[in-house]
Amino acid sequence: MSNQVYPKDKEILPGLQIEKVDDRIMTLNVGPQHPGSGHMRIIIKVDGDYIVHTDPDPGYVHRGEEKMAEYRNYITNIPHLERPVIHDSCNILYPYCLGVEELLGLEVPERAKYLRVIAAELNRCVYIEYWLAIYGIFLGHSTMFMWPVGDRELLIDLLDKMTGARVTHAYFVPGGVRNDVPPNFEDVCLRQVNYFEKRLKEYADVFYDNPILISRTKDTGVLSREDAIKLGTTGSVLRASGVDFDIRKKEPYDVYEELDFQTSVLKEGDSYARSKIPWLDMFESCKIIRNALKKMPKSGSVRVKLKPKPKGEDTEVYRRVESGRGALGMHIVSRGTPQPYRLKISVPSFRNLIAMPHLLTGEKLGNMPAVYWSLNYWPVEADR
Amino acid sequence: MGTASGIIKALNSGVKHIATKRFTFRYPEQKLKFVGDGYQYDPDSGVGIAGYKGRHILFHDKCTGCQLCSIACEDIAEAIAMPKVEEEWKHNKKAIMPQIDYGKCVFCGLCVDACPFYALYMTNDYELSSFTKEGLIYTPAQLQVKPKVDQDVEIQIDEKGAKHG
Repeated sequence: MSNQVYPKDKEILPGLQIEKVDDRIMTLNVGPQHPGSGHMRIIIKVDGDYIVHTDPDPGYVHRGEEKMAEYRNYITNIPHLERPVIHDSCNILYPYCLGVEELLGLEVPERAKYLRVIAAELNRCVYIEYWLAIYGIFLGHSTMFMWPVGDRELLIDLLDKMTGARVTHAYFVPGGVRNDVPPNFEDVCLRQVNYFEKRLKEYADVFYDNPILISRTKDTGVLSREDAIKLGTTGSVLRASGVDFDIRKKEPYDVYEELDFQTSVLKEGDSYARSKIPWLDMFESCKIIRNALKKMPKSGSVRVKLKPKPKGEDTEVYRRVESGRGALGMHIVSRGTPQPYRLKISVPSFRNLIAMPHLLTGEKLGNMPAVYWSLNYWPVEADR
Repeated sequence: MGTASGIIKALNSGVKHIATKRFTFRYPEQKLKFVGDGYQYDPDSGVGIAGYKGRHILFHDKCTGCQLCSIACEDIAEAIAMPKVEEEWKHNKKAIMPQIDYGKCVFCGLCVDACPFYALYMTNDYELSSFTKEGLIYTPAQLQVKPKVDQDVEIQIDEKGAKHG
């Protein structure tokens, strides 16, 4: 023990934390290897059982999506741009396609707009079910892991029939969608979505009305309405704090303004409210899908024919959509070449991560998983 | 009292599922059924035909060796090479045809969209694992073979619940 050499204070290596024996504060590294934390690290300082300082450390899965987009043309960008969120791949391609359509001046056929809305809503449910499953297992509720993963299969089956792939669909293209749906898809979709909605109602008894869940999540990590706005949070985090902001309502894209749905808002702003908003969103998604299937034109073109390497004008566009996590925007700068000059992805996960130090400071360490995953945060998307 | 009744309600909702048939199915013995014969593309109308995006199928009597599929893949996965084939075709003077490396392919199907001669489609075959990296490279002769698939399991929904059958 005595001959062990410690570096002097000035020579301490970056990332190496050394504590004195009589120090009350202890530093904990949550992640990046822990499978629950999902490829990111949270550096937490605890005083006994209470968190006194939180420092989220993302960036472990940075892939350079934005730089990669500058070397590929508007069509070959599609497969790699959906990789940050493979469970929500339709919604991450949505703003890109809307932006490129505006750049190239394309008019999307009416049937393609409805198909896009159906695919986006199915994908939102797939993402939320996956998120909910992880939230369940984070809180030690293994039934809530099995049920969403099983029910997710109903929607994956529909997306598989529609797009030809179970995850990474590459279904949206500038100018419409890749292919029309197979015959009698409407009946199958209606049947499975109705059954899915019936199953969602069963989650209330086992999870949302469960006193054990309520005792763990109620009044933990409270984010007030003012703080939610000030910190720039978005999506379910913002709506759980009582701000009614949904891009589908505020800036309707494609055919959302013709469809009948409400946004779900809760006032509490705690982890329980944040975990409940996505579940309520899924009911609205089922409503939108049924509504869109009814209003969709029965036949017609679904895709505009494009030149092999379309060129945009010398301009820039910004379009955003409501993804499973919140507002997802893409800023595309075009300089008259087949490739975008610059593509900036504004991701909701990163915006919600900003709220984490604010929420965790002062909480008990045991509440950390309940607060962390309720932020609807996807590390791979935040790093892009 | 509220806590106790809540826990009993939660347990009860789980217990109800003991008697129902399970939703999962035995994968290697049973396989999920897909729509159609795989993803296809109609270059005349410029729209695809819905289907599963699995392993490709190449029609030697239609492929002209134009390399458009290889060019389409260039910025995506670089999975398609164009080697020489021994057969001689009147419509394929260069005698080159696509060879696909499934270690690189991302199954986006944009090569199918690029083919103007109805020569490259995708199939329902997704079991492509191999012990070697070379085993993942499919030559034009291997791509020509129509895969044997026995996929018959579908989701069935009745009042008792959903199951694969």
